Amino acid sequence: MLQVFKETKIPFLKYKYVAFIFSFSIIIAGLVNMIFFNGLKMGVDFSGGTLIRVQFNEPISIGNLRDRLSPINLSESRIQEVGQEKREYIIRATQSKAKLRGQNVNEMEAAELMGNRVIEALRTDQDRSAIGNGLQDLNSLDDKSLTFLLEPVLLDKAAGMARQIVDFRVRQGIVRNWDELKAAGVGQDALARLKERCYLSSLAVLSKETVGPVAGEYLWRKAEVAILYALLGMLVYMAVRFKLSYGVSGLLTLVHDVLFTLAVFSFTRREINMPVIAGFLTLVGYSINDTIVIFDRIRDNLKILRKMDFQELMNLSINQTLGRTLITGGTTILSLVILFLFGGEVINDFVWVLLVGIIIGTYSSIFQSCPYLFFWWKIFKPKKGMRK
Amino acid sequence: MKKNLLARSILVLVVLGVALILSYPPKKIPLGLDLQGGMHLVFQVATNDAINVYTDQSIGRLKQLLSQKKITVKSLSKGELGHIKIQGYSPDDEGKIDSLLGEYLKDWDTSVTSTTASATLKPEAARTIRTETVDQAMETIRNRVDQFGVNEPTIQRQGGLEGQQIVVELPGMRDFEKAMTLIKTTALLEWKLVQAGPAADEATLLKNFGGQVPEDMEVLRGDSKRTEGGYYLLSRVAGITGQDLSSVHLDRDERDNPAVGFELKPDGSKRFAQLTGENVGRQVAIILDKKVQSSPVVQNQIMDRGIITGGLRGFGLEEVRDLIIILKSGALPASIGIIENRTIGPSLGADSIHRGLIAIIGSLIITMIFLVFYYRWAGVNALAALILNMIILFGTLGALVMLKIPVSLSLPGIAGIILGIGMSVDANVLIFERIREELRAGRSVLSSISFGFTRALSAIVDSNVTTVIAAFFLLGGTGAVKGYAVTLIISIGASMFTAVFVSHLIFDLTIPRRRKVEKLSI
Repeated sequence: MLQVFKETKIPFLKYKYVAFIFSFSIIIAGLVNMIFFNGLKMGVDFSGGTLIRVQFNEPISIGNLRDRLSPINLSESRIQEVGQEKREYIIRATQSKAKLRGQNVNEMEAAELMGNRVIEALRTDQDRSAIGNGLQDLNSLDDKSLTFLLEPVLLDKAAGMARQIVDFRVRQGIVRNWDELKAAGVGQDALARLKERCYLSSLAVLSKETVGPVAGEYLWRKAEVAILYALLGMLVYMAVRFKLSYGVSGLLTLVHDVLFTLAVFSFTRREINMPVIAGFLTLVGYSINDTIVIFDRIRDNLKILRKMDFQELMNLSINQTLGRTLITGGTTILSLVILFLFGGEVINDFVWVLLVGIIIGTYSSIFQSCPYLFFWWKIFKPKKGMRK
Repeated sequence: MKKNLLARSILVLVVLGVALILSYPPKKIPLGLDLQGGMHLVFQVATNDAINVYTDQSIGRLKQLLSQKKITVKSLSKGELGHIKIQGYSPDDEGKIDSLLGEYLKDWDTSVTSTTASATLKPEAARTIRTETVDQAMETIRNRVDQFGVNEPTIQRQGGLEGQQIVVELPGMRDFEKAMTLIKTTALLEWKLVQAGPAADEATLLKNFGGQVPEDMEVLRGDSKRTEGGYYLLSRVAGITGQDLSSVHLDRDERDNPAVGFELKPDGSKRFAQLTGENVGRQVAIILDKKVQSSPVVQNQIMDRGIITGGLRGFGLEEVRDLIIILKSGALPASIGIIENRTIGPSLGADSIHRGLIAIIGSLIITMIFLVFYYRWAGVNALAALILNMIILFGTLGALVMLKIPVSLSLPGIAGIILGIGMSVDANVLIFERIREELRAGRSVLSSISFGFTRALSAIVDSNVTTVIAAFFLLGGTGAVKGYAVTLIISIGASMFTAVFVSHLIFDLTIPRRRKVEKLSI
């Protein structure tokens, strides 16, 4: 039998005050950072604004991007480089409602319009003159339009060629120059036709997300409701399956986990978006798992070891389940590390919350939930003990 | 403890078989917008427009009734939203107006004094108008979206039964700009008599009218894409509108430019004949969404058919095609504004699929290696349960697709699967650790297994149920987040079955019954 964790006898509850001081100092530091230093950044989903992911045909510096955005007063936008080669960026722009009103635009669509302005501002003069000459952007034509374009020279082979070009573009993100197309198997005639009717834009918009203030408020309300109901649901379930004391201790542990993770979150440059909220809910569900496994053991042991001191019994229960706690935590964290490394930018924030949250959740189920339960027992001294 | 081995084996095989059949072919589970690219759009319907239109209609009817009953009022005007104000009548008419309003303005709360009367649209009537407007807008959008050739678009109301937001999802849509124009164009098409213009500015336009816009006229600008963008003075009342069209088709103008040909319904054709017959030699403006497209001079009376040309610059073929789609689907009952737009290009989606697959396979492999390394043959058992778990997950997704319940596999959905793998392993770990404890405590192999399973059960159930509770409240979220909740919930359900039922069965099947077992590979 391969065993990493031999039968341990660690007096976990002895360290409860150390754990409290550790947790609370981090939570308080986080709260201070959030309240006084504006540490918690709301993402586009909730604050409204626009998030554009764009790929350029040539490497470009962040400074250069800011210069291009300055004529529309958005040079302060958050710009993050993704991928290599300095060709792919995520640009996030928000503007306060007051500013939007000042620009006298339709408030409902302000975010959408701002997104379009950002894309316009990023284009080069070459792009603009090509558009002015009535040329179409080869990097944004769909295969139907391409087929339509190619039909005069390729006849019934046009659809196949269009598909081929679109596939190439999907793989590359952007067609950088005509030679690339030639290398990808586009024939002389077709190439001549494309050159005549199209231009190769300097950038391709990979994704664009705009959320107006109305939609942002709606999404935030939804997120609040989801978190609140989830916490309530768990409290009720635990109170029914165990006792109220367990339910309250579990809930306090969850509040601890959420605040702790938020605190760590507030010290990073990350932003709260809808997937991050989903991450928080999952972490809540996962952390309560850990707590329940320990509580379940306490409940079991209370039936068998009637005479044992409550604190001792808790230590025993934590030690008995320690193997499981660490193995499950470990495998889950491993899976998440893989997601974190290879899952890509799109779900990176979400995975980050889970990763940090699960580490915190594992810690808290040992060092927070049991002390809470212990103090409840100390304060209320239930006559029948903690036995159900 | 080894009861019903056969029955249990059959049950597991049946579940496996059904799940395999349901999950085949795996391609039928649609990919989410984030994976295949596409658009997620939320529109807000300006339902105030519809309230204003209704108020205008009511005022129009009131005017008619008042003149029929020979009651003179000085002003009959629209106040703030949903209010009508009547002023300047003789006090003797108070009673008549009161009974008239009571009889004909059923949807309105009215109050009449000797000098002024006012009517306020009843809240429930306003609500009905708003709801119906959103319904109509959804119908129009659906008609237009059906022309895109997108697989399984969804069009939904957001914010409850009376929500004024419409969510449009277009998976696989590639031509983003076109989709946006086709959905958002109000497509209010009107033909109005030109009283003056086009002129470069309003002052020149109104020179012959004393600088004032007469009450029955209005000023509109030309569409900058079609005309020179000047000002037109037009009759306020439209001769005919888009509602009078019976059909539209692709046509050509005299210079062989593409144009929209149209035919009129009998009633519209009567009014059009009147309009053109009385105004030969004058201009009639064709107006789309309050912008003049062209203002041809009427050559002779037109009865029931005609063409819409693209003014000076002419239409492109694509533009005419799009316009025909829009006109066929009818006008939107109110303008709509885009309040949320998530557009994902296909290359980002392809990249995400690639990354998602690496992540799933990577975490499966790591988990498998760990299980077998740490728990030996029992780990292989858990592995079998894990694989069955995945098959059940895809089978359930397949079944949901067949039942036409909208599910899709999004990137967060993949994260849900990976977490589900973690949860399923957790259940096994709980059981195995418990079995090990029982073994250490000196129990026999068989009773250790049996105790392990029963004692771990409560922890497994309780911990999984709480996770489901958390995931349940994500089901109401937007597309991607919802996809995450769906896969997570299914995985947890499946893992409870596989870890508790299937693993136990495999133990029972593999451990010899009669011979005394000394060692367990765990």
